[in-house]
Amino acid sequence: MGPLYPDIINPELNLLIGFLIGIGFGFILEASGFTNTRKLAGIFYGYDATVIKVFFTAALTAMIGLYTLHYLGWIDITKTMPTTFWIPTLIGGVVMGLGFVIGGFCPGTSLSAAATGKVDAMAFIVGVMIGIFGFILTFGSIWEGLRKSGNLGKVDITEWIGIKEGLFIFLFTLIAVITFVIFQKWQDHWKKKLSQDDINDLGL
Amino acid sequence: MKRREIIILSLLLIGAFFTIFFPNIKSQENIIGYKELLSEINKVGRYATTDEIANAIINNDPSYILIDVRDVKQFKSYTIDGAVNITLDKIMDEEYKDYLNTESYTVVLFSNGSSKADQVWLKLRCTDYKGIRVMKGGLNEWFKTIINPQKPIDNEMTAAKEKQYLFRKQASFYFTGTQVSSGVIKTKSNNKPIVKRKKKEVSGGCG
Repeated sequence: MGPLYPDIINPELNLLIGFLIGIGFGFILEASGFTNTRKLAGIFYGYDATVIKVFFTAALTAMIGLYTLHYLGWIDITKTMPTTFWIPTLIGGVVMGLGFVIGGFCPGTSLSAAATGKVDAMAFIVGVMIGIFGFILTFGSIWEGLRKSGNLGKVDITEWIGIKEGLFIFLFTLIAVITFVIFQKWQDHWKKKLSQDDINDLGL
Repeated sequence: MKRREIIILSLLLIGAFFTIFFPNIKSQENIIGYKELLSEINKVGRYATTDEIANAIINNDPSYILIDVRDVKQFKSYTIDGAVNITLDKIMDEEYKDYLNTESYTVVLFSNGSSKADQVWLKLRCTDYKGIRVMKGGLNEWFKTIINPQKPIDNEMTAAKEKQYLFRKQASFYFTGTQVSSGVIKTKSNNKPIVKRKKKEVSGGCG
C-alpha cells in the first residue's frame, strides 16, 4: 500500500508504531482538553466550538495530505475507499451523536479521559463495551439485514456532483475555513456572556 | 482569532489550492464508461493476429500472457505453447487478478473461435482490467494460418503475402516440432512470463 509497509516496516513493528501513535494521539486529546465532557458537549449547547474546529482541521489535513501522498505515489488511496451503506451509516451516525451528547465522550476521548482517572469515562467505556458485545452477539439474528441495506457501492461525492476532485477539495476547504471563522466568532460572543465562574466551572 | 489559527488555516487553503492541479484519482484508475467501451470494442487493436502471437512465442517475447478460456478438457487436449487455462466462470477469481490485471504485460485471450474470448474480454474490460486483447479467430484461425498455412494462389501472391506465407510455414515447422535453421526461427521454449504477485491489501479502519 505504501513505500514502507510491509517491506521496510514489518507487521510487528507496525503494531509498535500504532501503539506509539496511539499514545501520542491520547496525549494530544488530553492536552487539547478533549477529556473534558463539558468542552466536548459544548458544541451541542453552543458555548464551545473546539470540537468542530478540531474535527474540521483534522479532516482537512487528512484530506489534503492523503490526496497529496497519493499524487506522489506514496500511498494508494483507492484501497481505502469503502463501500457506502447509507441506511446503517445514517442510523449509526444518529446513535453515535446521541451517545456523544448524552455521555459527553466519543470512543477515543473516553479512553483518554479514563486514563486520567475520570470515573464517568470509565462508566462510558463499560457502556461502549456492552454496545459492542451486544451488537456482535445479536448481529446474525437482528442486525445483519440492516448492516447490508442501502448499498450504494463505491461512490464518491465528486463523481456524484460531477466536478474535479481537486476542485472539490479546495471548495470544501474554503467552506470549512469560513465555518471555522464563524464558529470562532460565535464562541467569542458566548464567552463574553459567561462569567468567570461559569468558565472555570465548565473547564473552558 | 489567534495568530496560530490563522497560519494553520492559510496553510490548509494553500495546500487545497494545489490539489486543484492534481489529476483525478478516477482517471488514474481508468474506470471505463459505456462510450469508451463501445469505442474500444470497435478498435482493431484489441485483437492480436495469430501471426503476432506465433512471432511472440517463437522469439520468447516475455511480455505476452496467453490465456486459454476454453474448458479444462479442451485445454488438456490441445493448447498453444505457454498458455494458461482460466475458464470464463473463474476469470474473476482473486487468485488470477494479479495475472490478468497488469499493465506490464499484454494479456491475450483465446478460445476455439473469437466469441467466448470476446465475452471474457468484455467482462474483464468492464472491471477496469487493462491491456487485454483477443486472438482474432481463436484456435480455428491458429490452425488455419499457423499450423496448416495455405499457400496463396499464384495470381494473388505479392511480396508481403509471400513473406507472410514463409513465416507461417516456418512457424508451422516450429509448432509441429520440426526445427528449421533459417535464422528467423529460434529455439523452442516454454518460457512463461513471471508475474509478481501484488502485496495483500491492507484492511481495517479507525473507530
